[in-house]
Amino acid sequence: MQQYIVRRALLNILVIFMVITMVFLGLRVTPGDFAVRQAGAQIPGHSAEEAREIVRHDLGLDKPVLKQYWEFVSGLFQGDLGDSFVSKQPVMLELKDRLAPSIELAILQITVAIMVAVPIGIISAIRQDTWLDYILRLFAIFWLAVPSFFVGVLLLYSLARWAHWSPPITNYKGFFEDPLLNMQAMVLPAVAGGLAIGAIIMRFLRSQMLEVLRQDYVRTAWAKGLRERVVVLRHGLKNALIPVVTVISLLLAAIVSGNVVLETLFQLPGIGFYVVNAIQQYDYPVVQGVVLVMAAGLVFVNLLVDMAYAWLDPRIRYG
Amino acid sequence: MLAGQERAEVEVLAAAEELVLPRRLGWLFLVGRFIRRKPLGAFGLAVVLLMAAAAAGAPWLCRYDAEEAFRVANPNYLPGSLEPEERLDSRSGPSWKHWFGTDQFGRDNYSRVVWGARRSLGVGLGALLFAIIFGTTIGIVSAYYRGWFDMLVQRIMDSIQAFPAMLILLLLVSLTERNLITLTLGLGFVVIAAAQRIVRSAVLSAREDPHVEAARAIGCSPFRLMAVHILPNVAAPIIVIFSIGIASVILAEAALAFLGLAPIEPPSWGMMLDEGRRYMTSQPSTMLAGGAAITLTVMGFNLAGDALRDILDPRIRLT
Repeated sequence: MQQYIVRRALLNILVIFMVITMVFLGLRVTPGDFAVRQAGAQIPGHSAEEAREIVRHDLGLDKPVLKQYWEFVSGLFQGDLGDSFVSKQPVMLELKDRLAPSIELAILQITVAIMVAVPIGIISAIRQDTWLDYILRLFAIFWLAVPSFFVGVLLLYSLARWAHWSPPITNYKGFFEDPLLNMQAMVLPAVAGGLAIGAIIMRFLRSQMLEVLRQDYVRTAWAKGLRERVVVLRHGLKNALIPVVTVISLLLAAIVSGNVVLETLFQLPGIGFYVVNAIQQYDYPVVQGVVLVMAAGLVFVNLLVDMAYAWLDPRIRYG
Repeated sequence: MLAGQERAEVEVLAAAEELVLPRRLGWLFLVGRFIRRKPLGAFGLAVVLLMAAAAAGAPWLCRYDAEEAFRVANPNYLPGSLEPEERLDSRSGPSWKHWFGTDQFGRDNYSRVVWGARRSLGVGLGALLFAIIFGTTIGIVSAYYRGWFDMLVQRIMDSIQAFPAMLILLLLVSLTERNLITLTLGLGFVVIAAAQRIVRSAVLSAREDPHVEAARAIGCSPFRLMAVHILPNVAAPIIVIFSIGIASVILAEAALAFLGLAPIEPPSWGMMLDEGRRYMTSQPSTMLAGGAAITLTVMGFNLAGDALRDILDPRIRLT
């Protein structure tokens, strides 16, 4: 087991390295760069082309790609992701500030999702094909089908129109700075995103429960005369939840994806909002930094989940 | 040997069929039974067929050209005044002339929704075909052989999944020429990793099933084992992947269009949602038309996929 973890961790580092290399080269091989974008900002006494060359030289973009790559990698090992082309600030510092809102939002969404999904998934499965099942599935499918950004827009609109309330969009405060203001900014994207994820988890949990409840040991449990609650929760849910853990970890990437749009819509200063701007402005160091952080976070969470999987289900052994 | 094995298979299957389906049923009867047993699934299928019809017949079903800007008489016009005689018929509500109203450029929303169906379904279908062909092959082969091959393939898939889909798509659309083909392949590429992972986990348990063991014992080749004995066992997951996958691809495409990062032609539901939200306090018709079209289509695919899963999973059918 320990050997397995060490091997997976080393492989993950390799994976992250591959990912970041692909992005690094992808950014530089494709046409369009920061200097072209900045062509409007002319430098007195120089033509537009000269100005672009000066900008490229200042940013080190005129060096051979391999040399740039070498500098990037050696910086990486010193914990230096370079400076943002736009703000000239170290990317590491900017990322640190922007990670907290994104992580907080994801946690809130998963909490909303689980609170909605687990009870609904169980009831829907044990009452399969009854009117209750249909209503609950319709509910889940509805939330799965509505784009979270559409929900977000509708929430913003209806609250502004009928409750005369809108979230504090220009004045974002961290959770530890001002919990109340922070929650006001977070609640709409958390609900909008959480319902969509909850719908996915609920659907998956329902089909898992149906599968598990048809197993022989569940029939045995019924035959022993156990109460429904014990059969469903202890024999059924316990085993049905194991694959759900994997689904949640797989959904993390989807959550981050969804939040790129939600953060942009709600103007939350998270990494999603950050990277959309950076991509549009060809701010390479920022794009690289965000990709690195996202890839590393998701890959290692996947490893943790696989380990949790073996712990939850003793039938699974890694070697 | 092979002939005997095949005959045995056929005999066993025929016997089972006799038990389950005592006589051949007319297709009308089957459709009727499907509607009675799976009303939600039938509704979903109807929506999918409706959208498919809209996509296929867009040139005949749309009432106006999707790009035509409508004009109306200007109520402020007085002979001799500076006011123009006509103005753009923009941001109008639903009327007999414009069933879903018009957008800010005076274009007919109904016609744009119809053309949007062709775009959304075309992109979704293309992406899913691409993803399922690759995902199923990779998943089955990887789970069948296990060992170092599986390990290598899974790490590569991890590195794809470590990229949040939206990030891959953002990079793709900002780095390449914006067209529907790159968009479709990009969206399909994003689904492959998740698809193969689900197929793989289904195969991991299917390959230990007694019927697979029996087939191996009578000397089936690995290819025959995978294609004939394991593949049918993952049909249900593939259908779920297809239904949820196509829905999520349509959502992702809408999200990109919503962020203003997708090709602007042909008309797109996500774009209608984004454009409509900017003036929705005065006239929500465009925003609602776009959002409702996405929601309905995604819901249709999910409901149809759910019902098909219940029917195609043999263990569930027999109870």
